[in-house]
Amino acid sequence: MFCLLLRRSAVHNSCKLISKQIAKPAFYTPHNALHTTIPRRHGEFEWQDPKSTDEIVNITYVDKDGKRTKVQGKVGDNVLYLAHRHGIEMEGACEASLACTTCHVYVQHDYLQKLKEAEEQEDDLLDMAPFLRENSRLGCQILLDKSMEGMELELPKATRNFYVDGHKPKPH
Amino acid sequence: MNNLSLKAWRSTVSCGPNLRQCVPRISGAGSRRAQCRESSTGVATCPHLADSEEASAPRIHSTSEWQNALPYNQIPGPKPIPILGNTWRLMPIIGQYTISDVAKISSLLHDRYGRIVRFGGLIGRPDLLFIYDADEIEKCYRSEGPTPFRPSMPSLVKYKSVVRKDFFGDLGGVVGVHGEPWREFRSRVQKPVLQLSTIRRYLQPLEVITEDFLVRCENLLDENQELPEDFDNEIHKWSLECIGRVALDTRLGCLESNLKPDSEPQQIIDAAKYALRNVATLELKAPYWRYFPTPLWTRYVKNMNFFVGVCMKYIQSATERLKTQDPSLRAGEPSLVEKVILSQKDEKIATIMALDLILVGIDTISMAVCSMLYQLATRPVDQQKVHEELKRLLPDPNTPLTIPLLDQMHHLKGFIKEVFRMYSTVIGNGRTLMEDSVICGYQVPKGVQAVFPTIVTGNMEEYVTDAATFRPERWLKPQHGGTPGKLHPFASLPYGYGARMCLGRRFADLEMQILLAKLLRNYKLEYNHKPLDYAVTFMYAPDGPLRFKMTRV
Repeated sequence: MFCLLLRRSAVHNSCKLISKQIAKPAFYTPHNALHTTIPRRHGEFEWQDPKSTDEIVNITYVDKDGKRTKVQGKVGDNVLYLAHRHGIEMEGACEASLACTTCHVYVQHDYLQKLKEAEEQEDDLLDMAPFLRENSRLGCQILLDKSMEGMELELPKATRNFYVDGHKPKPH
Repeated sequence: MNNLSLKAWRSTVSCGPNLRQCVPRISGAGSRRAQCRESSTGVATCPHLADSEEASAPRIHSTSEWQNALPYNQIPGPKPIPILGNTWRLMPIIGQYTISDVAKISSLLHDRYGRIVRFGGLIGRPDLLFIYDADEIEKCYRSEGPTPFRPSMPSLVKYKSVVRKDFFGDLGGVVGVHGEPWREFRSRVQKPVLQLSTIRRYLQPLEVITEDFLVRCENLLDENQELPEDFDNEIHKWSLECIGRVALDTRLGCLESNLKPDSEPQQIIDAAKYALRNVATLELKAPYWRYFPTPLWTRYVKNMNFFVGVCMKYIQSATERLKTQDPSLRAGEPSLVEKVILSQKDEKIATIMALDLILVGIDTISMAVCSMLYQLATRPVDQQKVHEELKRLLPDPNTPLTIPLLDQMHHLKGFIKEVFRMYSTVIGNGRTLMEDSVICGYQVPKGVQAVFPTIVTGNMEEYVTDAATFRPERWLKPQHGGTPGKLHPFASLPYGYGARMCLGRRFADLEMQILLAKLLRNYKLEYNHKPLDYAVTFMYAPDGPLRFKMTRV
């Protein structure tokens, strides 16, 4: 199974590289070079409703049983904490500190390029995620913006993949 | 950084008392033994777990996986002898395994008993369960709950929870603390410490320190262009200076030449050296301090008090700076210390975080660097590849490093990962199982300490293609010249994984990358003496004088 995963991850990375080369010049753009602090609080921000319609970003979570939940988010929302607000089972054991893979999601293909490219640290962790696909990302690293309107995020069959009895991990 | 080294093998490790609940109970030998009870499966379990959910049988017992599994006592392992149990086996001299062999023990256990080995009968402490199966290790990491239990550093636990309870109170920090108190503290500091935006901010300051270090190295060269015998001390000073910059927001001044014996930097260097040299003895060879204050323990406490004092002093001045400074003048990303002080409104949290970062961040990083440099010096072909990559990325040697540049140093990073795989500085990691589980087809009761010997699993052909060959390219993506092959993601895990992953990981990586990049861009490193053996002092690193020849290229 692992060889399979590894192969997939290689595909995943080469896909990314290709898209990287098509989409971006070799040098870093000022946009990338000037990183501003991303508001990654313990999710308080995600509990605030959008202040104006300009801010609204509607997305859909699809859980492992295929149940779809439409959610109204806003620009700047972290999709992990937004999921917590709406009772969606996305765990996030390390609280978005890039140490685990429990907020693993599949991003709908058309939206993949609209996301900020994964940092190397996120990529390294994704290699450790169960049920990895080429459109895998960590939910805690996705911040909504207007271009993501209508995006669908699918949760993998499991993020810890060893619960034998339907035990549901609680977010904390 | 936060990883367990030979701590896991220690015969005397406590099961890490939960600071809040167990403090009154950890005073003496008798009470310690009383804490550990024999469960129905015949294993001594951790006192911690005694309080929780006694009543109903765990859910897993009703699964077919559990019912089909073999009972715990059938797990192979060295047989305990009556009364003495297995503790004697880890005692220096008497036992068949001496402490300096600790890394080998693990390998021997695997060769002799297979992919799971039970090391039971340890007096007054839970069984150790060595797991040499990367899939099972993965399973353990993935099924750990919200508060993974990682046993470590009993001396530090006693210092924080008993000796200086006045200062630490309920804030135990992250090392040696478990359950809710751990989660609460970790949660308060982990974002700033692991967040990439914080890490980026330290590239430039750590580069300056590394440049100073390299200037100092040049000044230390003898007529043969060789570094002095005690060069490892210089590496310790560099890592101390780096961690001071990160955790205390200050330049400690450890890299100055001609430090006076009573100057603060020299005192800090001595204290760090003392901690490094003696904690191993304290925890492994002479654990009598658990029962009465030995002279070594008294010095250890004094030494720790000194560190606490240093941390308090610098954190206080950082708080002062924040108070007096006009907030509108604050430019760019705040420092780590500032972030913690501003978000927690409590300088004690920043102080305790700094203390933990310093205590676990000096020797781990510097021992890893000793190992990296030795491997570079003895592997000229690989060194040349890294050098060429650096020359391509930094045509002008004076170009300051940037994050995008570091991102492109694939060979350099592959080299670091490969050294960790083959010569893992920490020889293993561990978790106390919080629930009954099936591991390798055996029923394992909660409370057992699972040990994941990354130094062994990283070198197993089963998980890594051509495991005996040093090949940094195996870590590279195909488009960067990587070679295809098996590489189990849980086989070589120097920093652990999950909610309890090494808190200092990103800083450790950054510091090592900066040092190697600055060094190998401009110098060639050679080693022309008798090959060194690797030994476990506290970490796994080359044992002997690192007399590298350093020449400008």
